[in-house]
Amino acid sequence: MKKTLALLLALVMMLSLAACGGDPETKDEFKVGAIYINSKSDTAGYTFAHHNGITTAMKSLGMDTDKQLVIVDNVPEDKQAVLDAVDTLVSNGADIIFGISFGYIDALEEASKEYTDVIFSHGTGYKANETNFNNYFGRIYQARYLAGIAAGLKSLETGNNNVGYVAAHTTDYAETASGINGFALGVQAVNPNAKIYVKNLNNWADEINEKAYAEELINSFGCGVISQHCDSAQPQIAAQNGKVFGCGYNSDMTADAPKAHLTAAIWNWNVYYATAIKAAQACEGDASKFVEKMGGNAYYGGLKEGFVDVSPLTENCAKGTKEAIEAVKKLMVDGEWDVFTGVKLNISVDAEGKVSVTKTNAALESNGLQYKDGNFKAPMENTVVVEAGGASVDDGVIKGSMNYLVKGVEEV
Amino acid sequence: MGLHIVKRENCPLWKRCCFYLIAVLVALGIGSVILLAIGVNPVAYYTRMFTLGTIGNKIAYKTYINYLKDFVPLALTSLGLSLAFKMRFWNIGGEGQFIMGALAASAAAILLGNTLPSAAVLLLICVAAMAAAGLYGLLVAALKVKFGTNETLLTLMLNYVAVYLLNFLMGTKAGWNFYLNANELRPVPQKHPDSSLFPTIPMGGKFELNICVILVFVIGLLIYVYLKRTKQGYEINVVGDSIGTARYAGMKTNRIVLRTVFFSACLIGLAAAFKMGTVGTLSTSITADVGWTGIIVAWLAQLNTWVIFAVSALISMLHYGSTVAAATFKQVDSSFANMLQGFILFLVLAADFMIRFRIVRTRKEDRNG
Repeated sequence: MKKTLALLLALVMMLSLAACGGDPETKDEFKVGAIYINSKSDTAGYTFAHHNGITTAMKSLGMDTDKQLVIVDNVPEDKQAVLDAVDTLVSNGADIIFGISFGYIDALEEASKEYTDVIFSHGTGYKANETNFNNYFGRIYQARYLAGIAAGLKSLETGNNNVGYVAAHTTDYAETASGINGFALGVQAVNPNAKIYVKNLNNWADEINEKAYAEELINSFGCGVISQHCDSAQPQIAAQNGKVFGCGYNSDMTADAPKAHLTAAIWNWNVYYATAIKAAQACEGDASKFVEKMGGNAYYGGLKEGFVDVSPLTENCAKGTKEAIEAVKKLMVDGEWDVFTGVKLNISVDAEGKVSVTKTNAALESNGLQYKDGNFKAPMENTVVVEAGGASVDDGVIKGSMNYLVKGVEEV
Repeated sequence: MGLHIVKRENCPLWKRCCFYLIAVLVALGIGSVILLAIGVNPVAYYTRMFTLGTIGNKIAYKTYINYLKDFVPLALTSLGLSLAFKMRFWNIGGEGQFIMGALAASAAAILLGNTLPSAAVLLLICVAAMAAAGLYGLLVAALKVKFGTNETLLTLMLNYVAVYLLNFLMGTKAGWNFYLNANELRPVPQKHPDSSLFPTIPMGGKFELNICVILVFVIGLLIYVYLKRTKQGYEINVVGDSIGTARYAGMKTNRIVLRTVFFSACLIGLAAAFKMGTVGTLSTSITADVGWTGIIVAWLAQLNTWVIFAVSALISMLHYGSTVAAATFKQVDSSFANMLQGFILFLVLAADFMIRFRIVRTRKEDRNG
């Protein structure tokens, strides 16, 4: 008993002493702040991808992630919660604050007005100002198109034209719609007879249904390749168990399903974070110069910047996949061609594995349905989105208003 | 020789306080061990936590404002729950009632905010939220009184109905859905007009006291008087102690149950109105779990009105402080706060046991004697 008491007393003294001491904030170095939707100690998934991106970027810039990075994690998409997190980060001396979840949008906009001496950068959003507030996202549809080529070639090899896609959302979010469309167009460029079946999870994270829907696509719709827009690798694992193939998302999912995985459309978030942190440091304390230093208030990097890519191809890929993907990737990197235009690519691989890519003018057409007012199957009067030979749809459409799926895709 | 549990008579206040203090210290001690194990200096961590990170903080006033924003809805929800608990009506539906209140408050603010003067809008927000939450609670009370249904299960299940309704409204962009901003491409909640925000009182410096903080203490006083000095308050106690006695004494117990549960849920609705009137934007996480935390607070406070304020203040501090502290230590994520809260709750409950009972050593012959 005496021992316990002594220990307790010691603890009390320690605490009270510490309370007197305090630690005055010393502010001489650049600090990065981040607001995460999930835990910073995650080992997979969306928050992990961003955390990994930020720490990788900081290390590449020679920064100390122990001292120069402050994070508030598990912040829900609630205005007060986000504003509280911003206050915490600002009080810790953050010079730039990254918010990674879409629902932080209004809170970050408000915070950027209140703290004009701090830079705010919002992932997946579309709001910004001309000084200290920008948004960032990537042309993941380009990477998806490349993954689609791998899936299409596999469908030709197996002779199964049915391709499945498990999606967090579909036409209600441009992010998911453009992902599905990019992938589908890639599949169709190789295999014009392919049919893409999409299952809508209606949830950004739902591991149970991610698996169940993949199984349904394999068993009921006879799909031979499963692609996905969701966090976990469940659809890839289901593909492996069903002895079919799959394309992952977010990060290389080969380790999760080595016998099924072809390639994944991946994000290299560190590419943006390094660019943004460098630009923020170049502001030299004047946060209002950030947008100018970034060359605009909406960063939208793609294959060219290395912001998006496909993960290394596995041995499961059909012959010629590597060559086909490299050829098409070059077209996009060089800016010669892009996915949502009135020009279609026809990609073929002959018996010797020789790849040919030809361009033909063809209209970009929707499947005739669009999302409107909660209705996923509202009719679309004009199904031609881009006339044959026409230029790409606006980035604003890809990021914000794309509410339809292209011809040959069916939501089931 | 054996151990024997004996009921303790009249534990003096200082002793009770000591037990609770020891419980909290032991919990912090366990926390320190874990912190040490992951390479964090517990002293530094706890210092940041208990000072809410205000030392050397240029915007410390913000911390106090944010802290009070957490405190008000929690205290009021807990007060509401304590009314029903006093009557042994297990209202686990705080979350659902809070959400219904928030939806009603938000509707009033969005639809009427620009047409009426601010005072009228604020009053309407409160009335709408109280009515919506109150009726949501009353439904369960009515079923219990009429058919003898189990209120624990019903209030619990109605939470999920409310949660999914809120998720649906926050995720479905459509012409009729005024909860979402019609000008946005994706589902973004509609911001309330400024007239629907509660006024704040400048307190010197940049600190501004939201009027809700004062109101919540006034409401606390009213509830105290209601419970201690009115006939209805007495009735609640009697029904809680023994419904049979209440009936025998000629009390209309059904009416008392209906009335009290309605009041209980109304107060939770008012908590939602206060929250909506300070934040001004609905979200799927608007409750910040106060419906759950409120239950814990009410029990830790043993349903004592003033202790509820103290416990709410402590729990809010723990919660807010841990988040602030976790931001600066990369090894600690915000889940640590939840774990620490768990330790404190369990140990305080253990202390509670020690207050009510004492463990004595007994000899065999003593036991027979």
